[in-house]
Order: sequence, then structure tokens, then C-alpha cells
Amino acid sequence: MNRHKDFDKLLIIMAFVIFAIGVAAIYSATKAKNLPVADSFFFRQISWMGIAVTLLALIVSISYQRFVDMAYVLYGANLALLVLVLVLGHARMGAQRWFSVGGFAFQPSEFIKLTLILALSNYVAAKKGRMSELRNLLIPTILLAVPFVLVLLQPDLGTALLLIPVFFAIMVVGGAQLKYLGAMILVGLAGLPFFWHFLRDYQRQRLMVFVNPNIDPLGAGYTIIQSKIAVGSGGLFGKGWLNGTQNQLNFIPERHTDFIFSVIGEEWGFLGAAALLLMYFFIVKRAFNIADLTSDIYGKAIASGVGVMIGLQVVINISMTIGLMPVVGIPLPMISYGGSSLITTVVAIGLLLNVGLRRSTF
Amino acid sequence: MKDRILIIIVSVLFVLLGMGLFYNQVIRFGYYSHLSKNNSIRILPIDGPRGNIFDRNGTPVVSNRISFDVAVVYQELRNRQKLITALVETLKLPGRDMVRALDKARARPYAPITILEDIDKNKAIMLEEAGFDLDGLTIETRSKRNYLYGNIASHVFGYLSEISEDELEDLKDYGYRMRDLIGRSGLEKYYETDLKGTDGGTQIEVDSRGRETRILGVKEPSNGKDLYLTLDISLQSVCDRLLGERKGAICVIDPRNGEILVLVSHPAFDPNVFVDPELSDQRVRLLKDRVGRPMSNRAISGLYPPGSIFKVVTASAAMETKKIKAFTRFFCPGSYQLGKTKFDCWKSEGHGSQNVVEGLMNSCDVFFYNAGRSAGVDAMEAYSKLFGLGRSTGIDLPDEVNGIAPGRAWKKSFRNAPWYEGDTVNYSIGQGYLLVTPIQATIMTSVIANNGRLVRPYIVKRVGDTAMIHQEPKYIGLKADTMRAIREGLYQVVNDENGTGKRAKVEGVVVAGKTGTAENPHGRTHAWFAGFAPYDNPRVCLVVFLEHGGKGGLEPAEIARGIFEEARKKGYL
Repeated sequence: MNRHKDFDKLLIIMAFVIFAIGVAAIYSATKAKNLPVADSFFFRQISWMGIAVTLLALIVSISYQRFVDMAYVLYGANLALLVLVLVLGHARMGAQRWFSVGGFAFQPSEFIKLTLILALSNYVAAKKGRMSELRNLLIPTILLAVPFVLVLLQPDLGTALLLIPVFFAIMVVGGAQLKYLGAMILVGLAGLPFFWHFLRDYQRQRLMVFVNPNIDPLGAGYTIIQSKIAVGSGGLFGKGWLNGTQNQLNFIPERHTDFIFSVIGEEWGFLGAAALLLMYFFIVKRAFNIADLTSDIYGKAIASGVGVMIGLQVVINISMTIGLMPVVGIPLPMISYGGSSLITTVVAIGLLLNVGLRRSTF
Repeated sequence: MKDRILIIIVSVLFVLLGMGLFYNQVIRFGYYSHLSKNNSIRILPIDGPRGNIFDRNGTPVVSNRISFDVAVVYQELRNRQKLITALVETLKLPGRDMVRALDKARARPYAPITILEDIDKNKAIMLEEAGFDLDGLTIETRSKRNYLYGNIASHVFGYLSEISEDELEDLKDYGYRMRDLIGRSGLEKYYETDLKGTDGGTQIEVDSRGRETRILGVKEPSNGKDLYLTLDISLQSVCDRLLGERKGAICVIDPRNGEILVLVSHPAFDPNVFVDPELSDQRVRLLKDRVGRPMSNRAISGLYPPGSIFKVVTASAAMETKKIKAFTRFFCPGSYQLGKTKFDCWKSEGHGSQNVVEGLMNSCDVFFYNAGRSAGVDAMEAYSKLFGLGRSTGIDLPDEVNGIAPGRAWKKSFRNAPWYEGDTVNYSIGQGYLLVTPIQATIMTSVIANNGRLVRPYIVKRVGDTAMIHQEPKYIGLKADTMRAIREGLYQVVNDENGTGKRAKVEGVVVAGKTGTAENPHGRTHAWFAGFAPYDNPRVCLVVFLEHGGKGGLEPAEIARGIFEEARKKGYL
């Protein structure tokens, strides 16, 4: 028991170190804006962390079993918010993802990652032992499809796509048969041309540009090229904090959010980037360990879902900054500027801690 | 165990990602490092031109033209003396200036620095051709703002000036760069974010001699959005000419919807002066002229007592509060006695017995002293506000002022004194503390023209492809009797042979209106004419205001006639 508690402390410390790296990177990325401290991005990020930590403390103090009971309610409320944001959300850069409340913008599509994990976990726990039956995959698929479509409509392609692996992870943990899941993936792939049809022009363009960024260095390829130059020119040791010429010279748009890694890659080099990757891997690994050690299906499902959610966000986000993946809007957990993303990740880690602490009661 | 599949997949992805980073940052470091070095990458900005402005008939009124600038990349200069000689010969400029300009270019390495702006096109071509021999010299083209009508409607269009360093800090995020121009007044300011284009840039890799080897990326510029106005530039030009050298303002609107057809303020200025770098003397003179105040838009920022054109509000207040009826008569002996104070009528021999219609027609002050006092200050304040006075009209131009529609509370807080009955007497003929802008006076008049509906004036119909949504006229709830009497009065003003505004009469169209001559403590009286036509179904409502212009029944009424005649020719009436 004690040994595991020590492990959890390490998890928290790791998360805080990553957060601190993020604040430093945001500071560097937005330095040129010269905002007063109270309005600055790094300061606002720290304020968000205050809220996030409060929530974390709250979540850890309540048994995650309570969340079992509330799973569908939270999920349903989140769906309602997703519908509402489509109707009256604040349009920013052509997308309807945000609600503005008293100067703060929050993004319901961030939270759906978590509430979907809770709802799916609740379902597989209820169908314990019977998930191998094909018909029991129907309802989880609907639970996935509804928010998937709503998020896609915003349009937030990255977040929508992320929900899919989270779904499969929980199905695997819940005991669904791999052959059925494999068949679903095949059906999904067969439906891609259909899906392509529903994408917005700029989303298609981004996917095309990924295949070959040089098709269009005039437009969508610009950010990728700039970001690759930033990260690549960081070298082994990096140019040092606040010294990233690519970033300081304003080549990369929106670099404090989705492209924050280009700042880290440029300023801290391969050693810094690899160290960050190891810290993330530690968190992900810890999530799967907790899942392994938990006998209760619900806790197992939550932990695995969170592990996949954080792990894949890291992989997708960093991959897109170095041109290994198409540019889809996915924040780098704990690092990208933004309250909704930060709170979602911190709450996810709170759930992990919670499962880790209480699994022995089962 | 199939649970392991997840951690295996995620681990593999992390390893692949680590390898990808290693490849980019360690193996390809040399390549990317080379690209990121300042001296091998250069950004050539490409201007995103501002949007054009068109009048209601699609006539371009503000557009852009190409200007040619001479720029130098100092580090690429091989023969400084040769360049100086070439520039001096071609441009006929003193060599001393050239040397100074080149020294400026030295301060910022590896970037083209503009040393001369807006040179003659033919000279630009000559230099461009000579450029093969002159390393380091480039001719850059930029788009420059061009105000096609010079002085005309300058207050509506506004002007641009270079962004200051402080502003740049705040606005960098919005795509502003050094030397960018930003709207300072008028539409250029109000619609700055729409009009502004998005600059692009080409990022090129250059060799050690500064020659372009290849393009790394291009961010394409995009044009700002075009504005489509309600303004009629040809009618505006006529009004401008009619106003001539006089100080003042003219507003012409469509009373049915608030569309502004004309908005003149004199003295005016030529916004092109602010574009041309060589005209800084003229700019300074314009900005410093405290007497003529040519930069101030009198139509929306000038505050004046409205005088008798305000009597429509007094009549409404008294009739709506049932203090007088259409047939109520007051006797005018030529003055009005309140306690020890005597308030004169403009006609010292008196008008005799007057009702509302006659009071308006003759502009009898005594009738309105009586009407205003019977309504009381609170009703006067309330109806002033219903007619849109005391707060900005919400026109889509910057720097509009609120004006003052006074009342007891206003006087208490701004003059720290109680309201006196004498104040009400002054109020009722549009004097005293009451101050309005010419555009407010127009909106006030349009309420009568538009049968009791208050409109919000606007000047931009469409931004790019987006039509602007405008408020529906607001019905202020005047009774039919009130409307009938006031309209009848305004009809008589122009059409009765004794009416004060008969000079505004136009052949073939029935005009109604009201003259105003407002006392002001600073000198000669201000002169107003407010009117509309055709009487039965008004489509044009106007106000002519002359600062220190004497009597409203004279020049303003004559100018109004000119405008109505022109509006008729153009098919508005």
C-alpha cells in the first residue's frame, strides 16, 4: 500500500513538472505580445491550474464509485453543452467550440473526452463478463457516435478522432472480442470516403497537405514547414529558453496552443524533448499499471481510457509539429495554453489517483 | 493477456515519436539549423491591401493605387558610391539625403529597408532596369490609399496614419507591422478591422550573396473587405459645393430607414495629404488648426443649440401631455413675462393670437414659451429623449457625441443648481442648456417626416458580402392629432407666403420644414434649416446647419432648396 502511495506522489510531481515546463514555454511563446502580467497567457494558465488543482483535490476525496453513479448524467449534460455550443457558441477563427462566460472561454468538447470515458466505463462494468457478445457493442458505439458527430460539427476534427481510440481501449479492457473490434475498424475504414465528404475544405486541405506539405507551401503547408524548421533547428541541446529564433520571430501562428511543442523543441533541443516524452510516458505507463492492479472493471476502464487519452494526445500533437501526422487541433496535455484542456487533463489524473488509491477496497 | 495490447501500442508509438524527434533534431539538424539562421532566411512582406469603399451606386470613392518604393539591403551593397550616383541622377535628389538614407539601412542587417517612398513610376522602371548592375537595390511595390474625391466626404471616410510604436505592441497580434497605416477617423477607423487586409509574406532562402535560392514558404496576403455605403457621392458633391466656404454641416437621410445619403462637414480636409510622406507640413497645419477645426466632423461631433427647429419637440410634449390641443391659442404681444424677467419673441411687435400650426409657421417664440411651460421641464426632457436627443444616434462613425437634453437631475449634477422656470422657457425654443449635433437634429426631424418613427442612421450597407443588419425604426407613440398639427405647421413654414422657410420651396415637390436661428454666447447666431419632402410620403429628410450663419430662413433654406432640387433630378423625390 505504502509503496503505491509513493508511486502516486511521483505521478503528481511528474504532472507538475510538465505543467511548469508548459508555463515556461507559454511565457516564451507569448513574450513578444508584451501583455501586462495579469493578462498574460502564462499568468492565466497558472490561474487555470488553481481551479484545476481544486477540482483534483475534490475528485480524489470522493470515491470514484460515486462517479459510476453519475456517469450517464455527466455524459448527458456534456452532450447538452455540445448541442448548445453549436447553437450559441462563440465563433473563433471559424469554429464554434467555445462558450464565453464572464471573460473565460470554455470548450465542452474537451470535457467530452472524460465524460465519454466515464460513460463507457460504466457500461462495460455493468455488462461485466458479457462484453464478448457482439450485441453489447451496440450501445457503446452509440455513446461514441453521438458526441463524435457533435464535436465534428464544431468542427473539431482532432478531438473527434481522439474519441475513437479511447472507445476501443475501453472496449478491449471491458472484454470485447478483438475480432469484432477489428471488424469495426475495417467498416470504419471502408466508410472513409463517405466521411471525407463531410469534412470542411480546410480540413481536407490539411489532410492533403500532410500527405505532401510541398503541394501547398503557399497556404496550409506554411505552419508545418515553419514548425519543422523550429524543432529541427533546436538540435541536440536547443537554443535555450527565450532564444528560439523561429518562435520569437513570429513565424508560427498560434504557437502557444496547438504548436507549443515547436517552442519546446527549438529551445530545449532533443534532450529536452526526449525528457518531456519520458515524463509523459511515465504517466501513461502508470495509468496502465493502475489498470492492471485494479480488479474492478470500472476502475480498470477509467485508468486505461485516461492512459490512452493522454498518451495519444501527446503522440498526435508532437507528431504534427514535426510533420509526422496531419495538423488536427489537439492540445499537448498540461502544456498547451487553455483552461478546458488543462482542467480535463488534471481531472483525468485525479481520477487515476482515485482509482489507484481505492482499488484495494474491492 | 490481451490487456497488454494497449500499453504495447502506446509504447511503440512513443518510441516511433522519439525516433522522429531524433531524426529531425539530431540527424537533420544541420539542414534545419541552416534554414533557421537569420542570414539565410529572409521574409519579404506582401501587403494585403485595404478594402475599397463604394457609394450607394457602386461608384468607387476610396481605393488603392500602386506606389513604388526604393529599398536597399545594406549587406548586399557591392558599390555604395555607384548606387548613390545612380539614385541622385535618376531621382534628382541631393546626394546628402541618399547618404543619410543608406546609413539608415545599415542599422537593420539582412532585410530590405525602404529608403525612398512613392517615387515616380517611370523612374522606378529605370532603376529597376539598372538594378542588374546595382547589387542590393530593389524596387518594391506597395498599395497606397487613394481618396478619389479629395476634400469631399473626407469626414465620412476619415484618414489613415502610421501606427505608433505603442500601438504596435498592442496590435501585433492582429497582424500589424511597423509602418502599417491604421484608421484614425471616419469609416477608416470605425471599420478598421474589416478594411484591413491581412499581410502575407514570402520566406525565401538566400545564398551568401543574398540572392534568392528558393522559396521556403509563402503566406498569401488577403485583401480587406470592401465597404458599400448608403452615401450618394454625386449628391454629396453638390451639397459640398452648395455649402461652399461656409463653416457648417449638411445631413441628408432617407427618413424611412436611416440611410445616410449625404453627410458634409466644413471646413474639410484632403485625406490624401495623410498618405503622401512629403506633405507632412500640410498634415501638421490641418491637425493644429484650432480655429477652423477642419479635422472635426461637425455633423456628428459638433454641439450647438438647435433653436427653433426644436419647436417640434416642444409642440409634441405639450400636446401629448394634453396641456394644449390643436386649437389652443396663446396671445403673443411680442414678449413673455416671467416674474421680473421678460423673454422676447423674435418679432418685437408680436404675432397676436396663435395656435400650434401658426406658431410653427411663424416660429412664434411666445407661443412656445407658453406651450413649454405648460408641459413642464420633465415632459420636455422626456420628449427630447424620445426624439433621440441627449444621446448619440449610434451612427456607424467614430467620435459621435451625446449632446445634452437637460432636465432637473442633469442640472443638479452638472451645474449644481435647481431647475428654474426660466430654464424651461429657454428650453422650449431650443436654447439654454440644450445642445444637439446636426445628425441628431436630422433624426429629430425625421421622426415628424416618418410619422412618429425614430430611425438609427447608418452609412454602411454591406461589408464585403455581408449585408449589415439594421434596427427597425422605433415607433415613439405620438398621437395622430399631434402628428397632424405639427406636419401642418411645417407645411406652412415652407408653403405659406408668410412662412419663415419659404425660400426652401421647390417647383414640383411639396417640401415641409422648419427654420432655426439660435443665439449663442460666442458670436453671431447659428442658422438651421430642417426639412423633408415630399410632404405626403417623405423620402428625403435633411438638415442644413451654418455655424454663425445668421438666419435660418435665408442661406440654409436656400441651400436646402438646392439639395431638394438636386435630389429630385437624381430621382430621390
